[in-house]
Amino acid sequence: MLCWILAVTIPIYAGALLMSYRATARGLEAAAERDADALAGRMAAGLDAVIRPIEGGIRTVAYQLEEIDPPRTEYPRRIRGILTAWPDVYGSTIAVEADDGDASASPFAPYFFRRGATVEFSDLASASYAYRDLPWYRRAADARAPVWSSPYFDAGGGETWMVTYSVPFFRKVAGGSVAMAPGARRVLAGVVTADLALDWVTRAAGGVTLGPIGMGWLTSPPTDRSFVAPIGATEQRIAAFDGAMERPAVLAAGEAMLARNATFGVLPPGLTAEPAYLAVRHLQTLDWRLMLVIPRAQLLADARGLFERQLTLGALGLAVLIAAIWLVAAGVARPIRALAAAVGAASEDDLGFTLPEARRADEVGVLTEALRRMRSSLQRHIQLRAESLAERARMAHELEIAASIQQSMLPQREAAAALPPTVRVAAALRPAKEVGGDLYDYFETGDGRVFFAVGDVSDKGIPAALFMARLSALLRVLGAAGEPPDRLLAEINTRLVDGNEACMFVTLGCGVLDVHTGRVRYASAGHEPPLVREVEGTVRPLRAENGAALGIDAGADYRLSEGFVAPGDTLVLFTDGVTEAEAHDGSLFGLERVAALLRDAPDDDPGALVDGIVATIGTHASGFLVTDDLTVLAIGVRPLEVSARREAGGAHWRIEPEASDAGIRQTQHWLHAILAARDVDRERIDDVELIAEELLTNVVHAADSAPGGVHLSLACSLTAAEIVLTVRDDGVPFDPTAAACPPLDAAIADREIGGLGILIVKRLADGCRYARVDGWNVLEVRLSRRPETKRGVPCH
Amino acid sequence: MSLTIEEHSNPTTLVLTGRLDTHTAPELDAALNRVLANARHARLVFDLSQLEYLSSAGIRCFVRARKAIEPGGGQVAVVNPQPPVRKVLEIVQAIPPGGIFESVEELDAYLDEMQRQVRDGA
Repeated sequence: MLCWILAVTIPIYAGALLMSYRATARGLEAAAERDADALAGRMAAGLDAVIRPIEGGIRTVAYQLEEIDPPRTEYPRRIRGILTAWPDVYGSTIAVEADDGDASASPFAPYFFRRGATVEFSDLASASYAYRDLPWYRRAADARAPVWSSPYFDAGGGETWMVTYSVPFFRKVAGGSVAMAPGARRVLAGVVTADLALDWVTRAAGGVTLGPIGMGWLTSPPTDRSFVAPIGATEQRIAAFDGAMERPAVLAAGEAMLARNATFGVLPPGLTAEPAYLAVRHLQTLDWRLMLVIPRAQLLADARGLFERQLTLGALGLAVLIAAIWLVAAGVARPIRALAAAVGAASEDDLGFTLPEARRADEVGVLTEALRRMRSSLQRHIQLRAESLAERARMAHELEIAASIQQSMLPQREAAAALPPTVRVAAALRPAKEVGGDLYDYFETGDGRVFFAVGDVSDKGIPAALFMARLSALLRVLGAAGEPPDRLLAEINTRLVDGNEACMFVTLGCGVLDVHTGRVRYASAGHEPPLVREVEGTVRPLRAENGAALGIDAGADYRLSEGFVAPGDTLVLFTDGVTEAEAHDGSLFGLERVAALLRDAPDDDPGALVDGIVATIGTHASGFLVTDDLTVLAIGVRPLEVSARREAGGAHWRIEPEASDAGIRQTQHWLHAILAARDVDRERIDDVELIAEELLTNVVHAADSAPGGVHLSLACSLTAAEIVLTVRDDGVPFDPTAAACPPLDAAIADREIGGLGILIVKRLADGCRYARVDGWNVLEVRLSRRPETKRGVPCH
Repeated sequence: MSLTIEEHSNPTTLVLTGRLDTHTAPELDAALNRVLANARHARLVFDLSQLEYLSSAGIRCFVRARKAIEPGGGQVAVVNPQPPVRKVLEIVQAIPPGGIFESVEELDAYLDEMQRQVRDGA
């Protein structure tokens, strides 16, 4: 601020000083000019006062001579009278016009002049002094009027500077006897003169008191020898000026100025040692000039002195101004700077900057008060924000814990490992928020039964998560208690409806899989039916009756559905987060896409299937956006002794049972599961089970005596029309088809026990074929899928 | 699913429930051993109304019973076999057609007739 004020003030001061200086200088110049003018006036008046009376006197003498025409002898008396009358007249004469032909008109010019205190006489009419040819006579005679001569130095007479006033006088000529000029009646009789010594001029000029500076001259018109009288010339001045001045050039410059009617100007450089002004005036009397040379430095010394005084005063004023400004600025700026420093030191973390306590009435005080209010407001705001952030962090932390707890409610990795080896389970749950309302669960309830469930609580987030937690606990308790799914749903429903003020509800599908038989008992509360991905690659929904979602209707009733899952098949349960994943155009992922995804899956491992679905829907590339919690649960039935694969037109299972009754029974279970899962008639399933038992029993019992036991397998191929069972064993070669049918009509006492199994097989099957291949008995039994078409195999 | 055997007397009746196969046949054999050892029976009745499954192993049990009883003039009767079981019985013809009854009442009527014939004729 100070700098700005100085930047503005100093030029103003400088400008004012300069203008003041210039005005002063101009004023001084004008004063010098006026002084010169006044001096010229005074000089002119002085000269006139001396000269005009003399002019009048001389002209009077000339007039008397003309009128009275006294004799020449009277002339000296009159001349003396002139000298007596005017002390300034140095000398005077009355020179008459001579006429060589007339004696009375001979040259006559008595001259009287002062020498000291006496008056002396000199006769000018001598032959050597032809006065009529001299300028003082000639000019007046020719002009026939009074004339002043130029100043001249009278070397022969007075030894001084003089001017001469010459007045012609005439004689009246009667009758025109002599005609000097045509028409003239007056004849030149002579010239009266008065020599005026110029000593007094020199004295008068020298006596003028000039100002403290400068030097002047009174000069006659310029000629070879001009009269020059220094004005106000003290010895010192003359000494000071003469050495430092080209006087003739200065005089010439003055003449030049007069020629262009200028009276004051700067002398051209070089004429004087230092720059100087020249003032000139033209006096009326005697055509003389007055010139004054005034050194510029000296003239401007006053102005400079004034300027310096002003400068000093200005500097003082400026200093005072600066001091005042500094005081004011410091009074304002320091507190403001202090405020700025205090505010600048504040950070987001620490707003505790200190503000001056002193209350000020000025703007700084207002600003301080505003800052104080701002600080407290900010502190409040920051505190609120910090609290809000802490609260949010706490909520986030709690949500994190909640999510962790919720995750822990789901079966962990060990849970899958703890299941019977016959089943393989994989699952994924992706909450839309930190916590979600989806859940899945599975656990073994004992005796080879695996309970499984997938649920979807209405809504998302914390309420859904709490509801889900309650549901999860109920599922664990009731499911582990061995409640069948329908009863379990009814039980959970009753409990959830009770006190369900939030009107939450949940869709839930749950079931029990018997890992030994592939039987699934399932019940649904408003949940999408599970899909079954079959070995053949086909996908079908599990047949299940649907009931009301849980938590809505206290009296809701749920139906149990029963079905089978063949070895190699996979049950896939999911929530609507999967089917309702949205595409950009608003279309849903849908059940069809899920089915297609499962159908096209190269790997039927549950883990791979789950990953495939999650990866497909959960990635941006799929073009679908999951907006809800997303859950997938896949349960595959994968008995260790059964391998399943798809083949042209159907599927193929190969069972390698333990060579025991239990192994045979288990084989029957798998065959039952396979055929029931493929909708084969119950009667046909019974036939196949019976055939399997008969054939395998034969092999097992025949091997009872064999050392090291026997290896056997039963393969089941299923096509649209046919069931083909193939039994292989590495026991002793035996062709059951070659055995004779037992005599059914024999008396009971004679009947052999045994051989009945083959009979049964042959009667039930549509074809039997035996071969011994590479040390293996291979027996192939074919049945149509529909029992009506059976024909039976004839006995040999 | 296994086999349960319920024993009734007068006439001696074994009610079979479940499956009669290779696995469970020994249970029936044991029961038969006990029943047959206790007394000489004129008649042994198998109530098959609850039997779901029958394989040749089970048939052998029936044949064993016949072999034990019939030489002494006794008779083995089967009551109310369900279709899958009847189908097997028919294939094997392990029980003569006269020994299979649709129901207990039919058997009772038959037995009453037999008793009458014995009383009247013999």
